[in-house]
Amino acid sequence: MLGLAGLSFVMRATGPVLGNIPAAVTARTAGLAPALLAALVAVELTGSNGVIHLDVKVPAVVVAGGLAALRVPFILCVVAGALVAALLRALLHL
Amino acid sequence: MPAARAPRHVLQAAAPIALAVFVFGISFGVLAVAAHLPGWAAVLMSALVFAGSAQFAALGVISAGGSVLTAIFAGALLNLRYIATGIAVARSLPGGRVTRALLAQLVVDENYALAVAAGEPGHPDRRTLLLVGATLYSVWVLGTLIGVLLGPVLGDPKRLGLDAAFPALFVALLWPMLSGRHTVRCALGGAAVALLLAPFTPPGVPLAGAAVVGLWLAR
Repeated sequence: MLGLAGLSFVMRATGPVLGNIPAAVTARTAGLAPALLAALVAVELTGSNGVIHLDVKVPAVVVAGGLAALRVPFILCVVAGALVAALLRALLHL
Repeated sequence: MPAARAPRHVLQAAAPIALAVFVFGISFGVLAVAAHLPGWAAVLMSALVFAGSAQFAALGVISAGGSVLTAIFAGALLNLRYIATGIAVARSLPGGRVTRALLAQLVVDENYALAVAAGEPGHPDRRTLLLVGATLYSVWVLGTLIGVLLGPVLGDPKRLGLDAAFPALFVALLWPMLSGRHTVRCALGGAAVALLLAPFTPPGVPLAGAAVVGLWLAR
């Protein structure tokens, strides 16, 4: 936790302290966030053996992603995803 | 050219965002407790890191059984974009290098976007940046504290679907970023590489692979 805090501090401070990092470098970092978030979604959907595991998380992601595509506010997408998982679990006794 | 706006107007414009960040903070506190992170650690993390997606990424890795180093790695990679925003706001911040570096800690996606909209081209509005930043920081930490206190009252996290909240959250964070072919390519490439690596490698390696692909496909 302190490691993440320290790294975040350094990264936020870099710009104001240096101020002349080439634009080519910063343009590349723009690809990091989408790639990493997509990877996090993918990894969350895998089971302990690393293969996609079909459970209530899959419909939860589909619902949350669909709502996000409809520009529904972020927090509602997350709540809807959790609700779908909770409901399916209760109904199907998974 | 927009004139300097009164603090009241700046804060009024930011109120819906502050409310969203507050609720987001509560959800972070609830999920942190569900992932067996001590309550004080969750609040301290919000106070020191102040970056929702990075904190959730780190928490997601921890709750999935990954190591602390992997969690730091995942969170830090998501925060790399703050190098870019730091450069963009550098000239909008007052004071010397130390003051500016400290004030830059208040910059998150939301107040950065508002400040760019309120400022002039290449010069984000300073007042928006700092006032909204300080407000969001307060509600984020307060929300986390409330979530940590609320978490144990809610009961079994799986029954509430809280484990599914992580992938739902990552996909909801990802979607607004998907503007243009480059970002879609990076997202698809990152997910594909992560899925290819996941069966054969320890947690963390799939994320590292995705990061490399993201850098590679960015342009």
